[in-house]
Amino acid sequence: MTNTVTLNHLGRSVFGGLGNISSGSLRTSLDSTWNNFLSQQQQRTFIQMRTVLKVVDNSGAKKVMCIQALKGKKGARLGDTIVASVKEAHPNGKVKKGEVVYGVVVRAAMQRGRCDGSEVKFDDNAVVLLDKQGQPRGTRVFGPVPHELRKKKHLKILTLAEHIA
Amino acid sequence: MLAALRSRALLHHSSSSSFSNLQQWKLGFLGLERTRSSSSIESNKATELLNLQEIEQILSDVKADDIRVIPVRQHCDFMVIATGRSTWHVKNIAQALIYKAKQKQKGAQRISLPSVEGQEGGKWVVIDSGTVIVHALDEKARAYYNLESLWTTETSPKEPSSQELENAFVKIRPKNNSKKSVQMSS
Repeated sequence: MTNTVTLNHLGRSVFGGLGNISSGSLRTSLDSTWNNFLSQQQQRTFIQMRTVLKVVDNSGAKKVMCIQALKGKKGARLGDTIVASVKEAHPNGKVKKGEVVYGVVVRAAMQRGRCDGSEVKFDDNAVVLLDKQGQPRGTRVFGPVPHELRKKKHLKILTLAEHIA
Repeated sequence: MLAALRSRALLHHSSSSSFSNLQQWKLGFLGLERTRSSSSIESNKATELLNLQEIEQILSDVKADDIRVIPVRQHCDFMVIATGRSTWHVKNIAQALIYKAKQKQKGAQRISLPSVEGQEGGKWVVIDSGTVIVHALDEKARAYYNLESLWTTETSPKEPSSQELENAFVKIRPKNNSKKSVQMSS
């Protein structure tokens, strides 16, 4: 499964402004196609309670479910820490099923703005498990990781990563 | 003294891989660069926090074991890995580096310190000074994480070789092992 990273150089969606073309009662065909276009773009949101995330390190877990986003009222985004419960794990791994773990979101389907105006978004939601002190539980991180992690003081995950987006 | 710093910086740049790479990286890394954006001499930016030679000197002063310097082209220029004999020693290495950075910037209006991670735990401390990233680990962590094997094999394994690419495109007809008798059309 390839991970595609989309970088949009437009800050906000351009089509938001163009969607309200029709003013009168006449519904033109152009209007309906714009509406279709708008409904086709899925709006991704935050990582919150009950979100299932993929684990991309070799700590032994495969899927975790978020219990709590540690920062943010609406949920966690790219680069934030979450508390999660392990739902699926490899049979002989360091982490067992049902364990409560901390993790850092390294890939999120919701776009995150960068300081130069572009946005990053990934195809899936992925997390790297940490312990309470912030040390990674695994030794390698698979897949691309964004360099938002550098600013968020997660350099350890960046050094263990195989590819930095 | 400024001339000496400048000449040292130029020497550093001639050894690093490409200057344009550094420029691109600088655009994204605005957190540390903001305080120095007004400086006209661009070569100073590379040595603003901690230089490679200074780091090596400090590490030998603090008696850190097994120092390895690995040139990295991706998000930083150099990666330095050092071992500490105990958690206290690891924390001490981090503190010595910060102290040196503070000393270097004595008298300036704003001091930008290298960011440190993992200081409370003491098992793995990362000091990020822009171009150089220093990892101070203890013996167990070093054996566990095995950072050299990650970063010394620089070739990216993610790119499929041409052989694998050819194999991916070959169409394999599935074997028909069904026991159903074939209907003969009259």
